[in-house]
Amino acid sequence: MNIIIALAVGFSSGALYALIGVGLTLMSVLTRVINFSLVAVGVFGAYLSIRSAPLIQSAPLEVQTAVTVVIAVVVAAVVSGILGWIEATWLSEATTTARSAVTVASLLMLISLSFILFGSQPQPLRPLLVGPAFLVGEVAITKVGIAMLVAAIIVGVLTWIIVRHTPIGVRLRAVSDRQTAAELLGVNVKALQVSVWMVMGGVMGLCVSIIGNTAAADATSMITLVIPGTAAALVGAFKNIPLTIVGGLVVGALQGALTAFPSTTQLRDWIPILVIVLFLLWNQRKEVWDVAR
Amino acid sequence: MSLASRPRPTTRPWLPLAFALGAIALGAIFGFGMPAYVVFVATSVLVAMVSLLGLGIVTGTAGMIALCQLSFASIGAWILEFLYLKTPLPTVFGAASFLVFMLIAGLITAVLGLVIGLPALRLRGVNLAVITLGVAAAVDTTVQQLGFPDQSFAHIPRPFGLTSDPTGDRGYFLFAVVVTVLIALAINALQGSRIGAAWKSVAFSERGTASAGTSVRTAKLSAFALSAFVGGIAGCLIVGQITQVNYLTFTPINSLGLYVLSIVVGSQLIDMALFGGILFVVIPEILKQFRVPLEWSSVAFGVLGIQALTSNSNLGTGVRAALFRRRRLREAARVEAAGDVAAVETVAEAPIPTGTGRPLLVVEHLTVEFGAVKALTDVSLVVEEGTILGLIGPNGAGKSTFVDAIGGFLPQHTGTASLDGEPLDGLAPHQRARAGLRRTFQQDRVPPSMTVGAYLRFVTRGKADPDAIADALHFFGCPDASIPLSVVDVGTRRLVEVAANLAARPKLLLLDEPAAGLSHDEHLAFANRLRRAPEHFGTTILIIEHDLDLVRSVCSRITVLNFGEVLATGDRTAVLSDPKVVSAYMGETEML
Repeated sequence: MNIIIALAVGFSSGALYALIGVGLTLMSVLTRVINFSLVAVGVFGAYLSIRSAPLIQSAPLEVQTAVTVVIAVVVAAVVSGILGWIEATWLSEATTTARSAVTVASLLMLISLSFILFGSQPQPLRPLLVGPAFLVGEVAITKVGIAMLVAAIIVGVLTWIIVRHTPIGVRLRAVSDRQTAAELLGVNVKALQVSVWMVMGGVMGLCVSIIGNTAAADATSMITLVIPGTAAALVGAFKNIPLTIVGGLVVGALQGALTAFPSTTQLRDWIPILVIVLFLLWNQRKEVWDVAR
Repeated sequence: MSLASRPRPTTRPWLPLAFALGAIALGAIFGFGMPAYVVFVATSVLVAMVSLLGLGIVTGTAGMIALCQLSFASIGAWILEFLYLKTPLPTVFGAASFLVFMLIAGLITAVLGLVIGLPALRLRGVNLAVITLGVAAAVDTTVQQLGFPDQSFAHIPRPFGLTSDPTGDRGYFLFAVVVTVLIALAINALQGSRIGAAWKSVAFSERGTASAGTSVRTAKLSAFALSAFVGGIAGCLIVGQITQVNYLTFTPINSLGLYVLSIVVGSQLIDMALFGGILFVVIPEILKQFRVPLEWSSVAFGVLGIQALTSNSNLGTGVRAALFRRRRLREAARVEAAGDVAAVETVAEAPIPTGTGRPLLVVEHLTVEFGAVKALTDVSLVVEEGTILGLIGPNGAGKSTFVDAIGGFLPQHTGTASLDGEPLDGLAPHQRARAGLRRTFQQDRVPPSMTVGAYLRFVTRGKADPDAIADALHFFGCPDASIPLSVVDVGTRRLVEVAANLAARPKLLLLDEPAAGLSHDEHLAFANRLRRAPEHFGTTILIIEHDLDLVRSVCSRITVLNFGEVLATGDRTAVLSDPKVVSAYMGETEML
């Protein structure tokens, strides 16, 4: 029974990994970048938003919550948008590696700024959803976990609908396939790319507001949640959203299962990297070259 | 006088050694002359410099993203402490323990580096970034929970009985200088060697590297293992400096900082690694003096990193490029003053080579399918030794696919190929290159980070001596061996590629549209040189070319591909006047 409980514990974090993985996959597909700063912008927005608490103390609780969430979403979207603007302005024709390296530099910046602004102490980042959603036998499935999984699926489905069935989706695909060609056809590449960055940043700001400090105590450890997120995204090869969701849940479940054996807590942190390595070895068993020709 | 025969600047092999001795002497003066605190900080600079040197191999030279350099340092430090405190070995090695343990720690870390690099083997830089970031986080938490063998209690003795006081600090600084200088010397020598050229080549193009007879796998893994080795050594140096470490010394955020700094300064260059080390240590020190949070230094590194990435440049190469331009200007002025302007050479028209009649490359029933598309269907052809065979056909006829398949890049093809009687089937591209089958590419696959001469040494796998290299460059009218490829235009780079591959003296060279990007006059000169090449280099040539004038003027035999099938093959005049060829190649109404 312990293992099932552990799996349920793993479900919450797994759903979060899945959502982060979906975000990473979308950014990779739509803007040719592995965005290591994706979670960082969300965390930055959410932690900055709780700084507004003293200013709106007198307002009713619902208003306070709404204002905080809006600030979190807007800040995350703006920070992400600035990054996207940098990429679209100077690195539009650069390789995925160079574009991703920029997000490593911005990750460094955001972690350091979080240290300076928020310290390494736990902060009163209240989650929007608290408690179990329902019980399966003795096992509690948390509301946050359900919300994350639903969010991952909604983001995935929405993007699928937008990309496949709307004029803006056609443009998005054109930009990601052949940026210069799209530009020559009169598509406003920069605006499109920056909006993708802003939307994804905003989504992450919202998510971090929802989960609050349930997933990690302080800003920095929350930012590092991007690592199991990349593990999930790798299972979908940064292309396939359903596989990414499954990958996130699997990583979470493996970690949760290990909590049933206290002697193996060391291994818990190695689960994402283990999933990454095993998956890569399997996925790359065939000869692959850097370019098709 | 052609460009290639101009006297080359003499190489000075003693120069790095002189620098090294100078650096050690300077280190001794600094270590025993400066205030104790400054010497202690300077030791930290050296440690950071060693970390950056290790990182420079992977990020700067081989072009990958590695985010766990300090994880290697912490693993190295952990092993050193373990050997000191948990094994009876210190009594065995006595005063030399530190050195021996440092080497062991470095080697074990290198093996771990190999294991981490293994999944990234066939992957692009981004996946390595994902893996190394994961490793950084996992090693960090593991070390946090496990703790270091010293348990914040024991102190690790310094090498050679150096004490843990300010006097010992000075002696240890000198020790760190010697270790750093040795590492810098070794890395400098490696970067100038074939393995260093392989790293640079892999960073630019994997296919180009394999076609030069170098295994992409070996190049990547050696870079990663060496980087991890140097990282482990850096960790040991930290232990010797502060004699007691904890996980805070090796946080992942500092690994990120080092990576970004490595990009900012270009830490594959020794002097820039030193500069990076100074930035990494001195900026936080200054902030400390002003009581500003230390994390602002990481913010600054992040900004500098974004600047460097968006402008696609780093300090080191920027400074070097500026110096090179100045030297070029001075040299040009000198050459002009002497009236020594390179003259266009005139060589008598050479006849089309006829060959020995012996079959060299025999391809039978070659079929390549990409899913439902048949790119090549049952292609059979023979290239006779000493000849130039032209392979022509309309766009999409399968010419480049043919070269890819014969070169070993499409292992899933059916049919057989043999070179000089030896079967090629099942050989990887670099093995085929070593067996005497070379190829050039339609796209620019010449790494701009090398000089012309270094590129020729790399492609010939060290077999060509300076005279042979100068000869090959002279033969094709290429720039001098000392010129960096980054200042050579793309059309000329393709000529350098052809010259390099011929200088490797392969049995067969496959040229994929070598003359694209050349002017009409250059075309004619190229054709004349190509006709003399089989005799001059002892190489048989297969050439893909759209320019029928060029094909007609160099090839004795021609094979025409159309829709992946051999349309015609045989003597050039017969093939070119074949009505089937004319209609396929030029359309129904036009005539050749």
